[in-house]
Amino acid sequence: MRADKKTKALAKQLFKLSLVNGVVSPEQVAGVLGYVEKNVPRHALALLQLYQRAIATELAKSNAVVEHAGPIGDGTLRSIEAAMTKKYSRPVAATAKPNPKLLAGLRVRIGSDVYESTVAGQLAALSSAV
Amino acid sequence: MSTVIAQIEQQIAKLSSKAVKKNTGTIRSVADGVAKLDGLSDVMYNEMVQFPGGAIGIALNLEEDEVGCVVLGDVSSLKEGDEVQTTGKLLSVPVGRALLGRVVDALGRPVDGKGPIDSKEFYPVEKIAPGIMVRKSVNQPLFTGIMAIDSMIPIGRGQRELIIGDRGTGKTTICIDTIINQARINKVGLASGNKDFRPVYSIYVAVGQKQSNVVRTISALEAAGALEYTVIVSATAADNPANQYLAPFSGAAIGEWFMENGMDALIVYDDLSKHAVAYRQISLILKRPSGREAYPGDVFYLHSRLLERAARLDGKGSLTALPVIETQAGDVSAYIPTNVISITDGQIFLETDLFNQGIRPAVSVGLSVSRVGSSAQIKVTKQVGGKLKGELAQFRELAAFAQFGSDLDAKTKAQLERGARIVELFKQPQLNPLSIEVQASILWALQKNYFDAIEVKNVVAAASAWKDYLTSRKDALLAKIRNEAKLSDEIEAGLKAAADEWKATFVAK
Repeated sequence: MRADKKTKALAKQLFKLSLVNGVVSPEQVAGVLGYVEKNVPRHALALLQLYQRAIATELAKSNAVVEHAGPIGDGTLRSIEAAMTKKYSRPVAATAKPNPKLLAGLRVRIGSDVYESTVAGQLAALSSAV
Repeated sequence: MSTVIAQIEQQIAKLSSKAVKKNTGTIRSVADGVAKLDGLSDVMYNEMVQFPGGAIGIALNLEEDEVGCVVLGDVSSLKEGDEVQTTGKLLSVPVGRALLGRVVDALGRPVDGKGPIDSKEFYPVEKIAPGIMVRKSVNQPLFTGIMAIDSMIPIGRGQRELIIGDRGTGKTTICIDTIINQARINKVGLASGNKDFRPVYSIYVAVGQKQSNVVRTISALEAAGALEYTVIVSATAADNPANQYLAPFSGAAIGEWFMENGMDALIVYDDLSKHAVAYRQISLILKRPSGREAYPGDVFYLHSRLLERAARLDGKGSLTALPVIETQAGDVSAYIPTNVISITDGQIFLETDLFNQGIRPAVSVGLSVSRVGSSAQIKVTKQVGGKLKGELAQFRELAAFAQFGSDLDAKTKAQLERGARIVELFKQPQLNPLSIEVQASILWALQKNYFDAIEVKNVVAAASAWKDYLTSRKDALLAKIRNEAKLSDEIEAGLKAAADEWKATFVAK
């Protein structure tokens, strides 16, 4: 379903209400969902989809997904967290996600940025260069 | 041994710790050659975007929560959720002499089966046009080889001259003739060893045309030996609208290389009506607001920024543009024609009625104009053709009145006779451009009344015979006209002697 302008504007407003000091607040999100449930607006499905996408995008900015092929230590995760927190000037939490397709190395995804240091990535770059 | 392996391992560890940063996004939807993308927070306007499978896209719509991107290439392998990444580069095409004689697509990739193009330089497809200070006024001629144009609507190097008319009125033919004429001039000039000679290289951009037409154009250029001085950028009707939209800009980038490296180039955009249609299609799919005739609001800017790139640069070369516009039922006041008329430095209007009467090229003298070309006209053309436009206009006016009355005074009759001869003289077969010295000689003969005694129906044959006579027997005289570029007393005496001799031998069949 395609959202109209009013739905887009309302989703944006609800998203802004969900932030406390620029960070997504679970309490505010619960409040917004309660409001939507009580006063079902027009195009509620499209509205909630837009709202969900905005919240997911915002959350992804504060969450570094660390994909790894081999074992990864807790210390490495903490150091990635510290480095990313410093780089983006906001608190970033790191979560590990095993991915054997990487062969070796790490891939850190934060928002739409990807930091890649994997054998699979290097092989892909090599094959495209040849 | 173990220490050596440890050293290698350390080196590997150093290398593998180098992280590469990428800005990525995912495909939300793909339809009609346009992809809507999530993410790509760092993407720039007009930046190249890398799709999986080697396809390239251009980011054209940067919205708050999505990026609209045209895909250049096969979209059938793309699907929702595929990862896309930015490249940090603007779309660029290969440029340089290596492209001469080649047929390339809108991305500069060869499509003629002659192997890869060995080009080391790349120019961005979108570039800001040269500014005011670096420009120089147009004062060097660019000969089309078409007598009606070179004598009455002259074109200068660096000028933008629109060729406009209905379908099938000979617009492309004029462009092809001009390209062939440049090749002929180049061959003569380069063979002469003259250090001051500046060849003109041509770029022919085919937008939304039938593939069979493009093949015909290539064959015509090849047969005339003009392909070696020409680059053909092809985005045919079978190409997706994104390629059709980009092709003129790619051609302009190729032309700019010649201009910025001190050479002269001619670019033909055939045609900008189809270009506007392709852009409208992209804009509508991107959900941009539409305006008159459903064209987007920036369709004027689309063509003005393209045509402003044609210029004559101070201390460098020039890029002359011949944009083509197809009108519907001769309506020059439609949206796209009026836009392009207002951007260009003049127009050559081709009329269907004239074409059907057998007057080819069907140039309408009244509606055609060249705003800057007269300062680029050489002296000899001014001397022999200065009054032609006025005489032809008078003839058209008198001819309209003469239809209603049979009693005409001698002066009017003479004007009508002369006008009819001028019209006949300007008839010229296609793919047969005339050199400027031959044109000048024919017009001189007209001015000196050598065609007056010949029946109107035989004037074309007489002009052809006069041309053959000059080229076969008076080569030195023609070379003199070409080199001096003016009618001196000596040249005029030579022409008179030649014309008297020719007239005595000419017998109309």
